[in-house]
Amino acid sequence: MESVLNIEDLYKDYKGGWRKPPRTALAGLNLEVPRGKAVGLLGPNGAGKTTTLKCIMGLIRPKAGKIRLFGAENAGAEARRAVGFLPEQPYFDLYLTPRKLLAYYGRLISIQPENLNTRISYVLNLVGMGEESDLAMEKYSKGMLQRIGLAQALLSEPEFLVLDEPSSGLDPMGKLQVRDLLEGLKREGTTILLSSHQLSDIEEICDGIAIIHKGRNVASGGLDELLRSRDEYEITLEKPLQEYPEVLPDSASWTDSMHTRLQVDKVDLNQALKVLAERGAAISAVRQRRMTLEEYFLDQVGDRGWEVRG
Amino acid sequence: MKAVGAFAWSVVQDALHRKVFYAILAFGLVLMLLTPLLPSAEVGVQVDLMREAALGLTSIMAFVLAVILGSTIIPGERERRTIYNTLSKPVHRWQYYLGKYIGIVMIVASALALTFLVLVLFVLIKFGFFNPGLAKALLAILFESCILISIAMLVSIYYSPVICILLTGLFYVLCHVKGDFLYRGMTEAGYNPLVKALSGVFYYLLPNLERFNINETIAHGERVFEVGAVELLLLFAIAAAFSAIFIYLGSYLFSRRDL
Repeated sequence: MESVLNIEDLYKDYKGGWRKPPRTALAGLNLEVPRGKAVGLLGPNGAGKTTTLKCIMGLIRPKAGKIRLFGAENAGAEARRAVGFLPEQPYFDLYLTPRKLLAYYGRLISIQPENLNTRISYVLNLVGMGEESDLAMEKYSKGMLQRIGLAQALLSEPEFLVLDEPSSGLDPMGKLQVRDLLEGLKREGTTILLSSHQLSDIEEICDGIAIIHKGRNVASGGLDELLRSRDEYEITLEKPLQEYPEVLPDSASWTDSMHTRLQVDKVDLNQALKVLAERGAAISAVRQRRMTLEEYFLDQVGDRGWEVRG
Repeated sequence: MKAVGAFAWSVVQDALHRKVFYAILAFGLVLMLLTPLLPSAEVGVQVDLMREAALGLTSIMAFVLAVILGSTIIPGERERRTIYNTLSKPVHRWQYYLGKYIGIVMIVASALALTFLVLVLFVLIKFGFFNPGLAKALLAILFESCILISIAMLVSIYYSPVICILLTGLFYVLCHVKGDFLYRGMTEAGYNPLVKALSGVFYYLLPNLERFNINETIAHGERVFEVGAVELLLLFAIAAAFSAIFIYLGSYLFSRRDL
């Protein structure tokens, strides 16, 4: 499948200063974002996510490695024409109204003047800010500014969206709206690279993930493939047993308080089914267990995440 | 060029929302209007004194505007992180850099144009004659400001506004004394060879900003020396050459700078 973004062996060091040691932010990172797919970039604080996104957008220069954007290496301004970027906690000149701000960005993107107002109104309505668009942004809440950040990222009708914590500062309703918006864009064919600590969002929106830690890949691939990678099964009972079996395999454990879902390793599956059948259990389903993204993330990073220093 | 224009206009908009811009402008204009309070003298001398003081104050106002805006625009956008939204758009960094430069020049030029109007009106009302020749001194101040803005922006790529203002101030002083101080350091016998060598390097590298100081000539009605179009063109050429060198160097360094 064609890739919109391909990163190979990316290295980035930040120079130290007086009483400030140098820091390696990226240490051989690899990442691929296929066209039309949504990929989640995960990692603990300080893992190198924001540095990766800044390298992609040309805001910082990597020490080594290759970044291919739409097939072009060292992509410059032209490649960014098809990219929309939302930085972490976007900042704006707050004396401006969203309309004036977007008009300024529109001129930088070279949107035709006759189409600019229509496009601005469209993206402001898309992010739910159509009604407040003529108020100076100094009166805005953090969540409202985040929505304006999304609006500016969408202004150029990008083929590829690079988003750093898009749900940051949003209320629960706002988070749902952003999730719906991104799902809609994905359905329309927009490629998305999403860095977020909201694992539920990533699980909902993304087709694949890349987990990074200390600037290196820890795991990457399709979500279904990664979350089903363990040889564990879940047996679901129609109703709880009258009498609990005492001879279940060692790997078996009930995952709910009602004792209707039993988790068991693949090697013990047949034995567990046999024991349950002997006790007269009504088995409604047996399926390969799918981990939650949170479980998978903690399994990959685990307490290693706490080793990170700011 | 559309992007350069958008960046330039954004500087003007930004400056119009900064209180410091109005404070500097108001301070300069009030001081100029207070110049009639200078010790009284004969009418001919009084107008010369008034013009000299007003042009001197205008030079200071232009210097402060150029250095403050040149030193703070880029570091300010980096600190406020607004630069991430801007430079992630399909624009080149040189367009951003050049646009910001042009924007600051536009602000200084507007402030000088306003000063010119005030001065000409004041001379007309107070002394009863029209004095468009003042524009020559203001043009020279603008040309000098162009160099100062380019050097302030260059320094601001790597240093904080405070250090940048100090370094640009040092540059201003060195460039004003180079004709005298550095020339003597370079040519006169008895100096340490290192001092002579450094004086020589700075003498040939730095622009002679004292050349742009035609305030006295203009204030005294160009009675001794007339500032013609050739002299103004020469000043323009010097300013354009030095500004171009500093802008080129600045945009090259800025394009390699991590944000």
